Amino acid sequence: MSEGGSLEYSRQEMMAIATGREIRDGELAIFGVGLSMLAGYFAKACHAPNVRVMTEGGVYGATPAGGLPWGIECNRISANATSFTSALDALGFLVASGRCDVGIVGAAQVDKFGNVNTTGIWDGEIGPRYRPPKTRLPGAGGANDIACGAKRLLIMAAHERKRFAEKVSYISSPGYLEGGAARSRFGFPGGGPSAIVTTLGILRPNAKTKEFELAAWFPFSSIEEIKANTGWDLKVSAEAHIAAAPTEIELAALRQVDETGALRKN
Amino acid sequence: MTRSKLISLSEAVRRFTWDGMQYASGAALPVGSDAIIFGRELLRQGRKDLHAVFHCNTQQLNLLAAAGAVTKAECGFAALEVYGFANGLRRAVESGRLALEDYSNLSMPLRLLGGALNWPFVPATVNIGSDLQYRSAFAPDDYPARSKIPEVTDPFSGRVIGALSPLKPELAAIHVPLADPEGNSIILGTEWSRFELSRAAKRVIVVADAIVDTACIRQYPNLVRIPGLIVEAVVYWPFAAWPQSSPGQYDSDEEHMKFMNKALATEEGTAAYIRDFVESYDGIESYLDRIGREKIAALSQSVTSFLLDPYRKWILPPEEIAQLQPSAEAA
Repeated sequence: MSEGGSLEYSRQEMMAIATGREIRDGELAIFGVGLSMLAGYFAKACHAPNVRVMTEGGVYGATPAGGLPWGIECNRISANATSFTSALDALGFLVASGRCDVGIVGAAQVDKFGNVNTTGIWDGEIGPRYRPPKTRLPGAGGANDIACGAKRLLIMAAHERKRFAEKVSYISSPGYLEGGAARSRFGFPGGGPSAIVTTLGILRPNAKTKEFELAAWFPFSSIEEIKANTGWDLKVSAEAHIAAAPTEIELAALRQVDETGALRKN
Repeated sequence: MTRSKLISLSEAVRRFTWDGMQYASGAALPVGSDAIIFGRELLRQGRKDLHAVFHCNTQQLNLLAAAGAVTKAECGFAALEVYGFANGLRRAVESGRLALEDYSNLSMPLRLLGGALNWPFVPATVNIGSDLQYRSAFAPDDYPARSKIPEVTDPFSGRVIGALSPLKPELAAIHVPLADPEGNSIILGTEWSRFELSRAAKRVIVVADAIVDTACIRQYPNLVRIPGLIVEAVVYWPFAAWPQSSPGQYDSDEEHMKFMNKALATEEGTAAYIRDFVESYDGIESYLDRIGREKIAALSQSVTSFLLDPYRKWILPPEEIAQLQPSAEAA
């Protein structure tokens, strides 16, 4: 991309940087693999050096060594850890307890209330009787637990119409459920998703209805392009604005973390 | 020396497994530690109709599912992380041959904890309100499901939460990097849920990449998360988690992870994989030959190798292990 300024960067890099900007220094943060790990470690390398990082496997205090880890327990992230514990510890004691400040998860499909589907794609509605999906996806993993427990949830997704649905066919990880105060009846310690960061822009929940609205577009995208790639009638927030392009410092920090260039491949 | 519980892999599968059983794997997510060699042996001995309890899918479940040996499975995550979808498991689920009950990566260890403590249920503050609670592959007509994570009222606050069912698998084959002949085991890297699983399962077999002298265990008793007194048998098998990794000893085999997953995407590929990588060896040495000695050397150059340093001097050589194990050559 070059429309937004003199720097060349990919849409995925913009998404990772925009996600990383949501993380504040000193927070207790939990990342998954792939994109969300790159976004999180970008924040640590750039503006949040004291972010306290953990994985759901209970690997604490580590930074990736030798390339993007193949998994959250890959040897590439076990080479400089300061503590190894367990899933019960990381996802339970530190996330379900309400202690974790922020989590980042990916989504195959997300709806207007921030509910995430990572379980499967069906041909139409599932119907009253559960049936196998046409395409089976990875499942909830730790994302359901992070969506329930982390104070803030950041969702990352490629901005395509089929992924941004009026209603997901299966809720793997809860956002605001049916919207409004629906989430509160479950008493989750986590406040729900604070942003959906995409390859085209940033959506944020309306304070009252909890419906996600367009909050920012990227230097290379537009309101029209984002609306055309969203499967519901996307409202544009009164404060919607163009997000700042990556700075030289941000891009350098991201590429230091993404040394194998995973975000530049498409 | 304490009493040796070392037995051969084939004997462990012959004695402690049967068709239709609830079988659990002790692993560390899809790229890390897992007793994958135990799954290969389950196939060699023709075990079928298994009910698999896997905190996360691994290449073991992917292989067992692809081969049609699993009819029910419960797990929190069903793919291979950055390696992508698990093609064998996916194919079995999409065809309806395998019913996969979805939980999350916290609810699985909570259920094991419940089984370990003999709790009637575990209060769930996660999974509720989502389709993990409302949809059940084991009871597909029950919608919204009442049998999977039923609602229960907190008697103190009156809040409605969920009840997770406890798990007590009939057998857990748990991969560990180091065990002594009695089964006292040290884990390097995340233990994931191997602690809870070792207490929840009715029987535990540890599958160790290396066997150490009990003096090592006495030096680091705090690090022994699986004590021998709850272990039924110990199986020695180097590179037991291949092509996945074992921190301190070997990295995941990127090439074979992809090759295997690609093979498991089809019936023909799965048959060829079983021929070449399940039925093709007759013991540890020929298994290591099958992986390839050059590959073994390369995978052993792990950035985590230093994690093994404190324990190296106690690692027993294969000849000594053979003396502690009846009919070792029958592996």
